[in-house]
Amino acid sequence: MSLTKPGFLFICSLLFALPATTAAEPDGSWRSTVQKIDAEFERAWNDEEIVPADPASDAEFLRRVYLDVVGRIPAVSEVRQFLTTASSSPTSKPTALKREALVDELLDSPAFIRHLTISLRNSLIPEATEQANLRFLVPGFEAWLWQRLADRTSYDQLAREIITTEFGNTGNAITNASRPDAFFAAREFKPENLATATSRAFLGVRLDCAQCHDHPFDQWTQDQFWNLAAFYSGFESNTDNAQLAMMAVPSERASQSILIPGTERTVPAMFLTGSEPNWANKEETARELLADWIVDRKNPWFAKMAVNRLWAGFFGQGLVDPIDDFSENNPSALPKVLDLLAEDFQEHGYQLDRTIRIITATKAYQLSSRKSDDSQDDPDLFARSALRGLTPEQFFDSLAEATGFYQPYRSDNPFVIQQNTPRSRFLNLFRTTDRSSLERQTTVLQALAMMNGDFVNDATSLEDSVTMKAITLFPGMNEAQKVEALYLATVSRKPEPSQLERALQHIAAMKESETTEAGFADVFWVLLNSSEFLLNH
Amino acid sequence: MIQNSQHLKLTRRGLLKSSTAIGSAALGSSWLARQIQAAMQNRAAEKGNHQSPKKCILLWMSGGPSQMETFDPKPDHENGGPTKAIATSVPGISISENLPGIAKQMDDLAILRSMTTKEGDHSRATYLMHTGYLPQGPIRYPTLGALLAERLADTTSDLPAYFSINPFQAFNPAAYSSGFLGPSWSPLVVESNQPAANAEDAAIEFQVQNLKPPESVAKRRMATRLDLLKASEQEFLQERPGTPGESHVEAYQKAVRMMNSTSTKAFDLSKEDDVLRDAYGRNGFGQGCLLARRLLEHGVSFVEVTLSSSDGNGSGAGWDTHTENFDQVGQLCGVLDPAWSTLMSDLKQRGMLDDTLVVWMGEFGRTPQINSNSGRDHWPNSWSTALGGAGIQGGQAIGKTSDDGVAIEDRPVTVPALISTICEALELDPASTNPSNVGRPIPLADHDAESIDELLTKSV
Repeated sequence: MSLTKPGFLFICSLLFALPATTAAEPDGSWRSTVQKIDAEFERAWNDEEIVPADPASDAEFLRRVYLDVVGRIPAVSEVRQFLTTASSSPTSKPTALKREALVDELLDSPAFIRHLTISLRNSLIPEATEQANLRFLVPGFEAWLWQRLADRTSYDQLAREIITTEFGNTGNAITNASRPDAFFAAREFKPENLATATSRAFLGVRLDCAQCHDHPFDQWTQDQFWNLAAFYSGFESNTDNAQLAMMAVPSERASQSILIPGTERTVPAMFLTGSEPNWANKEETARELLADWIVDRKNPWFAKMAVNRLWAGFFGQGLVDPIDDFSENNPSALPKVLDLLAEDFQEHGYQLDRTIRIITATKAYQLSSRKSDDSQDDPDLFARSALRGLTPEQFFDSLAEATGFYQPYRSDNPFVIQQNTPRSRFLNLFRTTDRSSLERQTTVLQALAMMNGDFVNDATSLEDSVTMKAITLFPGMNEAQKVEALYLATVSRKPEPSQLERALQHIAAMKESETTEAGFADVFWVLLNSSEFLLNH
Repeated sequence: MIQNSQHLKLTRRGLLKSSTAIGSAALGSSWLARQIQAAMQNRAAEKGNHQSPKKCILLWMSGGPSQMETFDPKPDHENGGPTKAIATSVPGISISENLPGIAKQMDDLAILRSMTTKEGDHSRATYLMHTGYLPQGPIRYPTLGALLAERLADTTSDLPAYFSINPFQAFNPAAYSSGFLGPSWSPLVVESNQPAANAEDAAIEFQVQNLKPPESVAKRRMATRLDLLKASEQEFLQERPGTPGESHVEAYQKAVRMMNSTSTKAFDLSKEDDVLRDAYGRNGFGQGCLLARRLLEHGVSFVEVTLSSSDGNGSGAGWDTHTENFDQVGQLCGVLDPAWSTLMSDLKQRGMLDDTLVVWMGEFGRTPQINSNSGRDHWPNSWSTALGGAGIQGGQAIGKTSDDGVAIEDRPVTVPALISTICEALELDPASTNPSNVGRPIPLADHDAESIDELLTKSV
């Protein structure tokens, strides 16, 4: 395999990766990729005799795309604005253009960068979410990633910067500084851990089993695992203590091979495709050579992994699923769609926002979550928008939006989570171990917190709640309009006539027995506790 | 044994069809598959075994308890430090002077003096001892309470099957997670209030957070809210099958069932005799052990009670005695000994000990050598755990360490062997498997684990 020369890449980075503060103006060519993907879905659904769900209504699309792109539900004013400019038919052209315009607007917002930062960090260093002793690594990495994403750094450049991170002096502490060090520190700078992490994060290849023996049902051999690990073999930690190993920079020397522990075999650094690095260029370190190969256009996994992971973020599961298991044994039901997305991604400079623009414009993404036919049940064919759990961050930021809760952030680093705030308490309570958002499960303690906890109680009380005050005390609205506002604030749609009637009846009854406000509080409480509010759909 | 994922994909699609046939709203969810499997297992268990399932209490010593100051004293060696040994009710077995109450219960307890692992890091060791497995890639092993409660659960109970009292989870939250078994089996965490430092009659009380509606919402109003919620849930979920929605409804049902249940009087320790409450010890751990017994009486299957501070109330790594080991362990045992020995006698008196397994352990032991701060450091090589009840043959000390405590001289016990023994004492098959999040079935105890036969009741 011929490798792109680093000098050329450097020039490219000057030409194309200059910091820009807003998303590049789309050139329209992305629409043809959308059409090809749509055609591919039509074909697959036809072949499998699948009747896809109806197109999503404007309200359905709006809520979903807010959660997926900026990580929260829309504000009442945003819902009103979008729904009042609604066009008559969901398939007519104005609808498509209006939705495109909304996505453009969202992609230009800081909230998009923030949400993408959190989800990408989660994918690149998932351990740091699950293990408390690694959490100190998160703020520095997220601050760095945020800056790079805000600069609209291309994804191949991001991967290169992470893999080739230069560390300061040996012994320097890993700190909160805005740097990608956490990718290495979370793996204790161990070559074998970094090999696993690199293949999972950037290639979607599961090598773990091959660390100890040849992979039982995949192509990977133990030697190949260690061939990859050898690119990181220069790190020499002077401690066996895992916690200490992740707190400071180890020494690093030039190394091209590694001894497989427990054996007497030393294997050279080699790529998973079987080719050898070109050591002739003395300027390049082992990690630079590895980065060259990973982001090379001929790398069979890099671009596919990236677009597949984005896809999974918008659908709850990947075209290849699990998303880090690209192998012959785990084929995609829609391989062509994956190819189309990956090709577009490569040809247009690895821009994540371009791929998001494509994904959100597809017919598949713009389907209703309402089931209309049994043929829609196979999740692999995306014939209905699935019910998806929210991430803890999506959940709390939506709850804050709905209830008018003001969230202060630390100005120096918004990713430092302040302890003992409602946000940190909810994030801990709603932290999930589910494999995917399609398998999100609610715990009893979460249900109790939503039903009886202080936060929701305050949010539904007239004294403590911005939303309740704004809606129930507003003199210009009648009761029906107030109920409607509560629906817009929570489930981002107007109530059905029957739902409106039920709410008004209840409010009338509460007026008799307690107060009108108590009736509105109950309606709000029901909405905040509903799966329609607590899930993406 | 090994299934490739293509095959798994096919079975998943197969499942889609079969669940449609069942006619449930829960189409095609692996969650449903697990529920069905669990129900079938429970039914199978009922057929094969007319007795009610056994129960388990885990006493977790956070930080790693010193074996030499508990069950493996070495008074004749310099490594033993000042700790003296005392005789127990079983001739030939002596334990540390720190556990006088437990010494009298030795007939009902078995000591394992030859636990051995390779994990000297709190986080990894906590995971290993709680799940029976080392953290490995993407597999989310369930914590012991979830693993066992899933098999032992009494489905008629209003309370969740698994409670955790005063846990200290910071070392490794994943070690306390229900993992691939799903949140249905995650622990219901109960915490004791912090009594004021100088209050003499400080009452220890336990609460499940948010179990009661806010005061402003009367019971009838809450019922009305739930009716309204039910109606809107039906409208929304009827046409939107999927695990997240079903699980949401189930969690709310369970929560409401618990809110309305008389079983929550289990939390009201004031119903207990004052003398008994005193005997357990008026601190979070002592009263937690009493609460554990009450929860078992109300249908709970597994309760974990954590001791993590020397006053029994705090939360931390109290047994991590790198400095002043002897004073600190002395104080910790001052909380542990009355609580645990009263628990044993209380269970026995109520006829519950035959069906209740009590497990005592931490994440590792302490170095035999005493460090320059009169402390002991992390030591996974040779340390002690203890088991009692549920037919465990008490009055035994399994395994032996060398005079200096550094090496195991007899019968090393691995973690899978311990987990396997726990399963068998609870009449569960350690080789039976659960489907995992990576597709591969995972046995309760790791492959090839051999139970410690001399602890188990011989079936005739």
